[in-house]
Amino acid sequence: MASITLDKITKVYPNDVTAVNGVSLDIRDGEFMILLGPSGCGKSTTLRMIAGLEAISSGDMLIGGRRVNDVDPADRDIAIVFQNYALYPHMTVAKNLAFGLKLRHVPASEIETRINRVAALLGIEPLLGRKPSQLSGGQRQRVALGRALVREPQAFLLDEPLSNLDATLRSSMRTELIKLHHTLGTTIVHVTHDQVEAMTMGERICIMKDGDIVQVGEPMEVYRNPANTFVASFLATPPMNLLPGRIESVGAGALVVAMDGVALPVPTAFQAAYASHSGKPVIVGLRPEDFHLAAGDAARTAPIDLVTITTEVLGPEVILVANLASGAGPEIHARMPRDFRAKIGQPLTLHFDLAEIQLFDPETTRVLPRPAHP
Amino acid sequence: MNQSKTMEAADRRFGWFMSAPSLALLLAVILFPVFWALFTSVHDYTLIAPNFDTFTGAENYISAIQDPAFRHSLGLTAFFVAAVVLFEFLLGFIVALMLNSVERFKPIYYGILLCPLLMNPVIVGLIWRMFLHPSLGIVNYLLTVVGFEPVNWLGSTQMAIWTIIMVDIWHQVSFMIVLLLAGLSAMPKEPYEAARVDGARVYQSFFYITLPLMMPVIIVTLLIRMIFAVKTYDLIYIMTRGGPGVATDLVSYSIYRTAFVSLNVGEASAMSAILLGFILLLTVYLYRYMRSLT
Ligand SMILES: Nc1ncnc2c1ncn2[C@@H]1O[C@H](COP(=O)(O)OP(=O)(O)OP(=O)(O)O)[C@@H](O)[C@H]1O
Ligand SMILES: [Mg+2]
Repeated sequence: MASITLDKITKVYPNDVTAVNGVSLDIRDGEFMILLGPSGCGKSTTLRMIAGLEAISSGDMLIGGRRVNDVDPADRDIAIVFQNYALYPHMTVAKNLAFGLKLRHVPASEIETRINRVAALLGIEPLLGRKPSQLSGGQRQRVALGRALVREPQAFLLDEPLSNLDATLRSSMRTELIKLHHTLGTTIVHVTHDQVEAMTMGERICIMKDGDIVQVGEPMEVYRNPANTFVASFLATPPMNLLPGRIESVGAGALVVAMDGVALPVPTAFQAAYASHSGKPVIVGLRPEDFHLAAGDAARTAPIDLVTITTEVLGPEVILVANLASGAGPEIHARMPRDFRAKIGQPLTLHFDLAEIQLFDPETTRVLPRPAHP
Repeated sequence: MNQSKTMEAADRRFGWFMSAPSLALLLAVILFPVFWALFTSVHDYTLIAPNFDTFTGAENYISAIQDPAFRHSLGLTAFFVAAVVLFEFLLGFIVALMLNSVERFKPIYYGILLCPLLMNPVIVGLIWRMFLHPSLGIVNYLLTVVGFEPVNWLGSTQMAIWTIIMVDIWHQVSFMIVLLLAGLSAMPKEPYEAARVDGARVYQSFFYITLPLMMPVIIVTLLIRMIFAVKTYDLIYIMTRGGPGVATDLVSYSIYRTAFVSLNVGEASAMSAILLGFILLLTVYLYRYMRSLT
């Protein structure tokens, strides 16, 4: 087991693409770290640099406190699940799993026990005698995962290891990986596009964009307090609603967030934090799950008048897509109970939980800091 | 469904129609001589009495096989083929591996390597005969300059076959390099990365990944080279005429001598048929192997 430290790591590919741009990240010993970000943001590149497959253009990479910039991948004792699996095409599944162990002179009996255990865990026992070309995409992915798991290395690097599995298998594999991390306690860096994986599996999430780290934090922390509009709009589906607004003073230190025809009173606890922005435009962030049908305590919720555009009945819940009653601004998504129904064009009033409001600076897109809870 | 069948038939007819001229030509220049030779091989046909009057059955074959000179040629050819194919393969694979990791000036290296391959064997033979001339050749001159004894490259019964082998390697090694390099550059990159992370050193990657994945290319290359090497004729004709004595009397040249020096076309035809048998065997094996790959 080992910690992994990235200190101002930069990767410039030979074609002058800067894939990773001075990234610093501390992955603690035994931590389950998620790398989350849109396609092309540098997740795989970061992972490949940790593995030693990609030369580091500048910065320092430390594994277990040792600088490994110039250490061969073979000597890093880490296992990686490649985004494209990279199985050995001429070897059977069993040989694919055994290869790394044989190279490390693990005794044959031990190899067999480990292969059987991992194959059972991943449900690939019937495939052990097959070649990779005789497997489906999802089966190959599980073999790739198995090849990493049998190794019992210092750290696992997983590049979208569940992306090709069906929904059921994916959710059971998610659980297996969490359990495995719990029992082994090995450091895991897990790259994903998947919101659910990011929220449920990781102890911390590292959100990347265009080769930069935007925010690192525990899942709920990142969800509750996104660092900027990118994180706010990237995490969770549907993501946070972002609407143009303005902070206005209504005397005696009281503030409201004014949008088209709507005035949301700022909770007393946030007033000091937002006072300096009084009179300035802001981006108002409202989570879809903080809209309620019933009004709460007058100090805690504020009514917002909406006009229904459409509803998406998902089963467990209904997503209401609406505009402000004034008809202006972007669409608003609100998460409603499963028996909620509304006709197209129907006006209605929802009540927003003011304690959950987030405001962002329209120029920098950064969040305006405020106390975590009122 | 009927329509698709008639269309298929029409397609096939058109195919035959289009290939008829070249098929006819092939028939005339290949199949006819082959059958003529087979026909000759069972007759007593000499250039002194060029007729098919006496049918002799297997007699030509028996006397060919019993002829110690022909047996010597067969053995020598086997040795020659084994030597050139082995050395060309080893040398070719090493150079291909090196070229595969080269980033810059690749086209220049390719160009240089292809030069010998583009040369006619007769030219190659002439060039090397001059280079290797015992007293006037540049090779011996250079050897004496650095203090070695001059070597009797083509005149010594010990040396001559090795000289032919070396010249053949010079001429044909590029063929191996080009084919093996094509195989190497078509190799997937990912398994190597996986192997590095799995703990493989460079030599382990070579033995556990490169070699097994390259096996089809290697086998096909070796077989093709063997088929060509068995037929080696021009180099011998130009450089040694099978000599000194019978030291370089490869089977193709030996057949030529039987037919046009001893004038015994019947027996030469039988020898050709035996050689054809060997080559067919290799070809069938090659064909089977390539079929089994897909
Ligand atoms: N070998 C390469 N040579 C040049 N540019 C590359 C190379 N590999 C990746 N890139 C570029 O680097 C950037 C980051 O790529 P990377 O593969 O790390 O993205 P990613 O976050 O893993 O994306 P995805 O989620 O689609 O897998 C991209 O702009 C990509 O085009
Ligand atoms: Mg990727």
